[in-house]
Amino acid sequence: MSGGPPKALPSTGPHSLRDMPHPLAGSSSEEAVGGDSTPSPDLLTARSFGDKDLILPNGSTPAGPASPASSSSLLNRLQLDDDIDGETRDLFVTVDDPKKHVCTMETYITYRITTKSTRVEFDLPEYSVRRRYQDFDWLRNKLEESQPTHLIPPLPEKFVVKGVVDRFSEEFVETRRKALDKFLKRITDHPVLSFNEHFNVFLTAKDLNAHKKQGMALLTRVGESVKHVTGGYKLRSRPLEFAAIGEYLDTFALKLGTIDRIAQRIIKEEIEYLVELREYGPVYSTWSALEGELAEPLEGVSACIGNCSTALEELTEDMTEDFLPVLREYILYSDSMKSVLKKRDQVQAEYEAKLEAVALRKEERPKVPADVEKCQDRMECFNADLKADMERWQNSKRQDFRQLLMGMADKNIQYYEKCLMAWESIIPLLQEKQEAK
Amino acid sequence: MEQAPLDPERRLQPAPLEPLGLPDAGLESVVGEEAEGPRDEGPGDGTMTENNFWLKKIEISVSEAEKRTGRNAMNMQETYTAYLIETRSVEHIDGQSVLTDSLWRRYSEFELLRNYLLVYYPHIVVPPLPEKRAEFVWHKLSADNMDPDFVERRRIGLENFLLRVASHPILCRDKIFYLFLTQEGNWKETVNETGFQLKADSRLKALNATFRVKNPDKRFTELKHYSDELQSVISHLLRVRARVADRLYGVYKVHGNYGRVFSEWSAIEKEMGDGLQSAGHHMDVYASSIDDILEDEEHYADQLKEYLFYAEALRAVCRKHELMQYDLEMAAQDLASKKQQCEELATGTVRTFSLKGMTTKLFGQETPEQREARIKVLEEQINEGEQQLKSKNQEGREFVKNAWADIERFKEQKNHDLKEALISYAVMQISMCKKGIQVWTNAKECFSKM
Repeated sequence: MSGGPPKALPSTGPHSLRDMPHPLAGSSSEEAVGGDSTPSPDLLTARSFGDKDLILPNGSTPAGPASPASSSSLLNRLQLDDDIDGETRDLFVTVDDPKKHVCTMETYITYRITTKSTRVEFDLPEYSVRRRYQDFDWLRNKLEESQPTHLIPPLPEKFVVKGVVDRFSEEFVETRRKALDKFLKRITDHPVLSFNEHFNVFLTAKDLNAHKKQGMALLTRVGESVKHVTGGYKLRSRPLEFAAIGEYLDTFALKLGTIDRIAQRIIKEEIEYLVELREYGPVYSTWSALEGELAEPLEGVSACIGNCSTALEELTEDMTEDFLPVLREYILYSDSMKSVLKKRDQVQAEYEAKLEAVALRKEERPKVPADVEKCQDRMECFNADLKADMERWQNSKRQDFRQLLMGMADKNIQYYEKCLMAWESIIPLLQEKQEAK
Repeated sequence: MEQAPLDPERRLQPAPLEPLGLPDAGLESVVGEEAEGPRDEGPGDGTMTENNFWLKKIEISVSEAEKRTGRNAMNMQETYTAYLIETRSVEHIDGQSVLTDSLWRRYSEFELLRNYLLVYYPHIVVPPLPEKRAEFVWHKLSADNMDPDFVERRRIGLENFLLRVASHPILCRDKIFYLFLTQEGNWKETVNETGFQLKADSRLKALNATFRVKNPDKRFTELKHYSDELQSVISHLLRVRARVADRLYGVYKVHGNYGRVFSEWSAIEKEMGDGLQSAGHHMDVYASSIDDILEDEEHYADQLKEYLFYAEALRAVCRKHELMQYDLEMAAQDLASKKQQCEELATGTVRTFSLKGMTTKLFGQETPEQREARIKVLEEQINEGEQQLKSKNQEGREFVKNAWADIERFKEQKNHDLKEALISYAVMQISMCKKGIQVWTNAKECFSKM
């Protein structure tokens, strides 16, 4: 990971290209890959982008810390879509192929993780490993530990809350797979997190458990120091911008919670509607059996209602599998973001407390002691990282919700289209004049 | 051509003195609200023009409903609804209609009319009245008889009833029906004076006949089963439909909550705000669209209900046949037994049990003169009985013939009406789907602008 002075972190403050070391330059010797790499002025080929990738419709870049971005990279980013151009992306991760493993002690699912990369941090251009949920959980914990100043994406819920959902059902596994895939892709897209050593190990190690046992703790200097910030410092006031973020996250999580409840309620009502429809349709069949001339029309109506029922069932399944999980993910996301905000508060509180302590000691020369300076650095780094991540997060949140809600609208449109087709096709049947009596 | 029943008592109208025009096939129902489609085609439109003997054509409408208070039979104050019936005669030449009669009737008077028709035309499938109390309601619908929506639907139902009677080749000629439309005061007394209540067959008698009849016409037995099953299946259908409506209502209304939360959410968003806000508006539109949709569906339910009640009318005709047949069988049995008795008396053998035989054993033989007298009485009774049996047979055959003709007419009507009802139901569903597609497409567009 990026070592060296905090100022060298890629996502902080305005710097000239020359001053920016390679993200992996000067990293601790524990780095298994690369070793000494000369600082390359052109960072752009070596990493994948986050905040610099998006040009908003009005032509401006998101107002984040101005990392040096080459004009070529800017030109490449002409659409709002977060899909990063294949040319500059150098890391691809996919989660697929779930398999069930039955052992004496337990039964569990593993997923195949496929990695393709041209980065020097990877020995081979391609990797394929199997991981289970536990492993993802480990990864996330490690990321939180080692990158406390960054927003770590959420994992799908560990335990199945709602009663009798089958952990091994196709639908559940598929929903989880999609969430895990999204998790890794979000990390892949992050300019700092994607270079995390634990992430690398997760993607490449044949035996992850061995690594887990080693307990590799490769932290950034900042990470290391932040980790040791003890609580107990009371923050007087959050700076405006972070207060605003905090308030936003609170309201955001609240609204998402409401939407989740509404969506669940709709699905519940739709299922109850479906139950009645499944009784309704067959009654027309029963009636049809009594009739002569009306037999075909009535049977037709019965079949039609049956088709609508099937379409409705598909709609409820889609909503349950595709819509609800994403909502829940974002609620978890904003929860973890709020705790990062709190950690930031801690760092600031420590700094302010130390500063105050210095100010009170009148006999000191008016020189700021080293440890207070360190606190200040820590705080400024944290603030910068957090702001950058927030920008990134806001943009991908917008994309995600746009896609999610358009998807919801689409599914409803498809449902109605199926029903429309069913009823339109039956009209000619109903209008048919029976010639033979 | 269908004939009026033979019983002279039943013919009340003094031949075509006040000709009741047969309503035009394309009868316009002059309704207070929008014209209701299904009734325009009218039942039996094909056959009417052939049987059009009358010079004038009439239009009937139940155009208004009014809440009234009055005193009932026990001198207690009550609230009821009165309906305005307007009759117009259509001039043959220019199609202009002139209001000829206008009076107010309440539901109970309609009931009286129908009960009268049931007694005097037992071979006819008499059109049913709309339901007395709201049934098969789903929760949003009121079960209150005073509820304006219920009153409106009943108004339409009553108009439909009158139109059906007026377009029936036989019923339309009935004088009491004519007076119902034209004579406001005293009508009730006139009906009661016919003494029809006394002529009504007792339910008990009818039930008895149903169980005991030996040889009913097979067609009527089948028809009876059909009407029972039809009643059962339509009831079931209406019950489930009400539940379906309830659930559908719930689905649409919950979507309205999206409107509010999207609006609240949009307040904290910069770029996403507008898209969310406008999408929320479409969700509100979606939620409120269900009210009209379900109101339209009630009309479909009413059309089904009419045939649910028609099944009962079919049943009534079958019951009458069973009664007549039973009556006939009893008369034949009675006659056979009398003949038997007579024979025994004549030959002196006692094969059948009789009270006389019993008393004879106890008190001694009767004299030949007594026996002669008894034989004579029996022979008279036998004669009478044979006459009666002959006419009963004749009546029975006439009944079967006429009833079956009306049943065929009814079947045609039913098939036509129900097909129309199914088509209009499908059209309603199509409209609902199209609205759904529209709303969600609009919402999708708003989301795309987020």
